[in-house]
Amino acid sequence: MEGREIGWAMVEGIIAGLKPSVKEEAIDFDKIFVRYNVLEEEKKLGLKPEELVKDIMPKDEPWKTIAYAVFKGDAKTALEETKKALEKFPPKEIVDKGLAPGMHAVSKLYDDGIYYLPQVMLSADAMSAAVQFIEQKVGAGKVEKKGKVVMHVAEGDIHDLGKNLAKVFLVADGWEVIDLGRDVPVDEVVKAVEKHKPVMVTGTALMTTTMTAFPKIAKKLIEKGIKIPFICGGGAVNEDFVNTFELGVIAKKAHQAPKFAEAAKKGISWSDLRAKWHEIAPA
Amino acid sequence: MVVRRYTSMAYKNPDDIVFGKAVYPVYERFGVPIGAGFVVPEIKVAPKPGSEKDLETFVKHHKEFTEEILKLCLQLGFNYIMIEQEHVFQQTYNPNYAYETAHAQVELAEKYYNEYGIGVTIRHTIGDIRKAEAEGGLRESDLTKRMFESFEQAAAAGVGDLAIETLGGKEVVDYAVARGDIKGVLFGIGVCGSEDMAWTWPQIVKIANKYGTIPAGDTNCSGANTVMFLAGGLMDREVSHTMAALARAIAGARSLVAVEAGARGPLKDCGYENPIIKAITGVPVCIECTSICACAHIDVMGNLNRAIGDVYSNESVEYHQEFGGSTAEVWTAVTGNAAALSNTALQAKQEKILRDLLTYSDMYRDPQGLILSYPNAYRIGKVITQYGKDPYLRAKYAAIEAGNIILEAAEAKKLKLSRWELETLNKAMETLKALPDDADKFIDDCLKEYANVPYFNPKNYGW
Repeated sequence: MEGREIGWAMVEGIIAGLKPSVKEEAIDFDKIFVRYNVLEEEKKLGLKPEELVKDIMPKDEPWKTIAYAVFKGDAKTALEETKKALEKFPPKEIVDKGLAPGMHAVSKLYDDGIYYLPQVMLSADAMSAAVQFIEQKVGAGKVEKKGKVVMHVAEGDIHDLGKNLAKVFLVADGWEVIDLGRDVPVDEVVKAVEKHKPVMVTGTALMTTTMTAFPKIAKKLIEKGIKIPFICGGGAVNEDFVNTFELGVIAKKAHQAPKFAEAAKKGISWSDLRAKWHEIAPA
Repeated sequence: MVVRRYTSMAYKNPDDIVFGKAVYPVYERFGVPIGAGFVVPEIKVAPKPGSEKDLETFVKHHKEFTEEILKLCLQLGFNYIMIEQEHVFQQTYNPNYAYETAHAQVELAEKYYNEYGIGVTIRHTIGDIRKAEAEGGLRESDLTKRMFESFEQAAAAGVGDLAIETLGGKEVVDYAVARGDIKGVLFGIGVCGSEDMAWTWPQIVKIANKYGTIPAGDTNCSGANTVMFLAGGLMDREVSHTMAALARAIAGARSLVAVEAGARGPLKDCGYENPIIKAITGVPVCIECTSICACAHIDVMGNLNRAIGDVYSNESVEYHQEFGGSTAEVWTAVTGNAAALSNTALQAKQEKILRDLLTYSDMYRDPQGLILSYPNAYRIGKVITQYGKDPYLRAKYAAIEAGNIILEAAEAKKLKLSRWELETLNKAMETLKALPDDADKFIDDCLKEYANVPYFNPKNYGW
């Protein structure tokens, strides 16, 4: 291909008659753009992910096998080993010593810029499969959670990918998520918050005219004396808009969700979260 | 339901594909030729929050920014403008909102055309407000009826053309892409998306024809653009850019269905797969890319699609004020001036030089740009037509061809890939090549594998 112009490049059998328009060989592409992702990855080439998290991972069985199954996103093994472990150990021990360390390790590698979203998702799927089995056996609510988060997509909006990704991060981090789904009316969100008393509520929207539900929700929560952080994100949602109503805190990426929840649980107010989100939950 | 399938290319030579010219130009109301030797600028404004509170406020807002756009066009001397209204939920859910806003905009278009001779066309993109989980699903629910009624109302109000972003298969794509699962992406976009379009589009064409409005096109915004947005910039780590490139090639096979059902273009702006479909069908296309749509989103295809586009769009901007004026005015100026440059090249008969400069500026920046650069889009189009009669097979082989293009460019050291991009590509290629060539077998397998994906219901796709 070297030296051919674009009209010719990579087109089989139909090059006759073309006249060069712009010569590719005249262009030094390195002077147009840099693929920084390639350069960044080269810096990390020598790193071995398993070495980096060896202090997090358990060394004794059966925890080691369970943790590594979660770490590798192997749902089948995670579930099978959890089933076996449940015959001998209490649920809390299985979660704390086996499942959670595996998830923690993946999250750490993601936070450190080494792992990618699909790896986190597959690990979360593996952990969820095991936790769901435990809950089926011993009853929902018996597996201790860090706290509750109510999530929804604004009324009139069905774009729920962002919510679903944030939910995965929260569940993997040990939070109980009350997922109200998509196209959720304002009053339904308010009722769910009253009922479940979460540490925070989240809302996502893609359209400028559906995100207008957020200030309505915030107003109704305040009227009821509820002043938890209302984490808002989605395609049309920007910080300027979110800062126009009380409780609102902007979120830009799904992986920020557990950090927001931790902060809310510690009692950090919505106004402090709004002011310091860059430090507390960087995007 | 679909009347034809493409098994050959409208363009016999990729070098003939250039901005502002299409094999089958479209002539919209009020003097706007598209793909007929001109690039037409497009402006799209998202109504400001709160304007939806009642019909009167909503229509008034639309009138105001439409007139601002038209006045700005006069101030800057633009020959043509396409004003697109991409419906917000309320505008489609309430068909009278669709009629009244369209009517107000068409009246202004006619007024400015008659008074000043400026070519103005109004596009209404009806919102796909259907919900998979609604009673009646995608095909029989009240939301579905409202969607088609809004098409009818916008057409009755006299819009120049009708478009949509159908969302069939989105639930599967969302699930699969986050897990790096190319099989699910292929099923969601290539099979479910194509099936949904084959059901939806003949009805849209029928409505458009009833009113003499142009049935324009669709886009895989809900699928391949979701993948592209998740893939994000070079430093993001949500979705590999090679995966995004494969999803885009699959979308080429899928969005083609609109034209097969009778859509005539210009295809919808956010269909980044449009270079592939223009190469196959010869219909004109609206395009967007960061250099003219950064108000809406940033991608790594800065200038690329301008090389082949017939309408240059800003994608969308929320209405507010900037130093240069309202966003409606500012972004009309941006797309209008980008179109003016391309029109200058056309008049000077230097369009292929500008086309190639626009292409080279992004061709090797990213795998997504590489596969959409016109020679490669053509190559993918050829594969799609080779398997043209089978929506699944053509989507599968489009993805494989895109993968081949990326690997060849990497091998030639023209495109630098990160280890992750290469690993995910190799894994995806292995998966794709191992898939059966029998569509029924593939679908049966996927119906089992994705049975528990939230909101996925085979009935929505006729299974």
